[in-house]
Amino acid sequence: MSNKRTRKISPMATAAVEHYVGLSNSLNTSEVSSGVFAARQHAQSLLLQLAFPTQRDEQWQYTKLVQFVQNRFELPNLNAQKTTLSKDELEQFTPPYERIQLIFVDGVLNCDLSDDLSSLPNGLRIQSMRDELQNSTSVASWFSEDALVFSEPFGVLNTALFTDGFVLNVAENSAIELPVWVLHVQTQDNQISTLTNRVQLARNAELTLVQQFVSLSEVQACTNVVTSIEVANSARMRQVVLQQQAEASFYFHNQFVSQASNSDFNTFYAGMGSVLSRHQNHLSMDGEHIENSQNSACLARQKQVVDSRTHTLHNQEWGASRQLHKYVLADSAVGVFDGMIRVDRQAQKTDGQMDNKNLLLSNTAKMNSKPQLEIYADDVKCSHGSATGQINPDQIFYLQARGIPRSQAIEMITKAFLMEPVETINRSEVKNWVGKQLSNALLTGGYFSGGDK
Amino acid sequence: MLLKIENLQAQIDEKQILKGLNLEINAGEVHAIMGPNGAGKSTLASVLAGKDSYEVTDGLVNFDDHDLLDLSPEERARKGLFLAFQYPVEIPGVSNKLFMQTAVNAVREEQGLPALDMFDFDEYAKDKIALLDMHPDLLERSVNVGFSGGEKKRNDIFQMALLQPKLCILDETDSGLDIDALRLVANGINSLRSAERSFIVVTHYQRLLDYIKPDFVHVLYDGKIIKSGGFELAHELEANGYDEIIKQHQQA
Repeated sequence: MSNKRTRKISPMATAAVEHYVGLSNSLNTSEVSSGVFAARQHAQSLLLQLAFPTQRDEQWQYTKLVQFVQNRFELPNLNAQKTTLSKDELEQFTPPYERIQLIFVDGVLNCDLSDDLSSLPNGLRIQSMRDELQNSTSVASWFSEDALVFSEPFGVLNTALFTDGFVLNVAENSAIELPVWVLHVQTQDNQISTLTNRVQLARNAELTLVQQFVSLSEVQACTNVVTSIEVANSARMRQVVLQQQAEASFYFHNQFVSQASNSDFNTFYAGMGSVLSRHQNHLSMDGEHIENSQNSACLARQKQVVDSRTHTLHNQEWGASRQLHKYVLADSAVGVFDGMIRVDRQAQKTDGQMDNKNLLLSNTAKMNSKPQLEIYADDVKCSHGSATGQINPDQIFYLQARGIPRSQAIEMITKAFLMEPVETINRSEVKNWVGKQLSNALLTGGYFSGGDK
Repeated sequence: MLLKIENLQAQIDEKQILKGLNLEINAGEVHAIMGPNGAGKSTLASVLAGKDSYEVTDGLVNFDDHDLLDLSPEERARKGLFLAFQYPVEIPGVSNKLFMQTAVNAVREEQGLPALDMFDFDEYAKDKIALLDMHPDLLERSVNVGFSGGEKKRNDIFQMALLQPKLCILDETDSGLDIDALRLVANGINSLRSAERSFIVVTHYQRLLDYIKPDFVHVLYDGKIIKSGGFELAHELEANGYDEIIKQHQQA
């Protein structure tokens, strides 16, 4: 946020800022380490100075925050040690494959429902952020004033309000066999869960991480996450993020990823829930021969706004990045895709591809797509594209002419469209599970009834 | 009688294409419809299959004791009408197998037969694939995506073999086929001929008819059938073109 001019801030936004600065102050007690204390103070000053973006900010033109700003979300009760989620309630979200599990309820790690963090497989270390803050001295170094997290409005709010999250390390040469599944459950209305996660894969390490965001009931709550990921030389990380929160909830997730030479990073985002959701990857390729793939499948209906962004920096030679982002929009839903591939002068032999395809199921749904390339090297291979349309009537007729009812034909074509990026998920058990979640959301979510369910 | 078309009139975008077409087809018969470009051949095929971009403005079509024009495209297919497309459509992401298993089971449901599961369907599809000399990975591929023109046409005939329709309408199935593909498609069609199954073969050229040997040949011009005859009419058309017949028609 380089904007030094004084911004005009609406009374509504001022009130919201004061509310969240107040919450942030209540977290900055004497128990907090000096580094975190200073980081929160810095975040507060940025908040007071810049407040929340408005439609006049180019990056927020289509993602209106009016509804968010009208709310005064409260902090979760950090001292509710006892579980507010029963094992039965948890059951409905549990994936059908073996895993290591972490369960967060309203923004706080629930130790009763999570695996025992003291007996994890060799090479894997996971701590809750709350514990890490008390034990580690390195925490302060995460929040230098030029930290990337302060370049994003919800990164700023995250630092001001974060209360928990996880710190995950995979040791050198360790391949963690089981996927780590991190579930975030909203159970309380009008709360903001603020999570800061740190993931570090050491040299030649391997990890599959699944992060899932759900609501127990039709709450209106907010989840604001920052996940920082460091992938060292030759390490391999696979990530899946599933966003299935209640239809009145809010979701903001900023991911800051840095990759070292010869590493591989593969991330998949499935956006299905929330009235307003924004998922952002900030990916920096800081070595040679890096590969990565960022893909997404997003579904929205009624008045949902689903925003997904990627910012990919090719900084060194021989990097290959792949992207496929697909949206299915019904009713009056709004989709936003913004992707930037930036190729540094040094990054010769870059191979970057970004593709965005969108299917509109109604005449009132709207897609805003902005794929961009910025290239400063001369020996590169880059492409980007975006296409938005409705189902071709010839396709529907072809299926009908073989006896398949029109409604089923539309469902088959739409599902096939949405599922293409799911194929990029490496592990078959995770891929099948994600595919099922998406197809359930599509087929039972009122997408084809042409109205309100 | 399997199909009876009376005074069929149809338009697209306010342009009248079919102008009172009559045709009767009995079970087991093979009828060829020939005619110059723009005569309405493909329109006839599309109207019979129920494509909604065409508007039927008058006429009756009775198919196997049903008022055909009253049925949706999928109902027509379920009752045994099949259209092999001039341009089979690509459907990315939908496998041929899912597509055809769904279609076969839709027809079986109509006939009161139990659905075929994945294994039964594979077994059922196996010899149909061999019949058309198609690559065995055909079922796993997305419908017509990355297929050559000939493969697409063969895929349509493969679908016809699976669905076992009563009336097969082939819309310029021979266009764009090389001689080997043409022979395979013709073999596929011939293997499906039976005393119960009828065919309407819409074509420009005699070459497919040489393999199929239709019982009747009709000349379609300006939205009507202006001449009908036996297979020898196709030879006559190939030798003399349409001009002579059109001239006779205009004088009459």
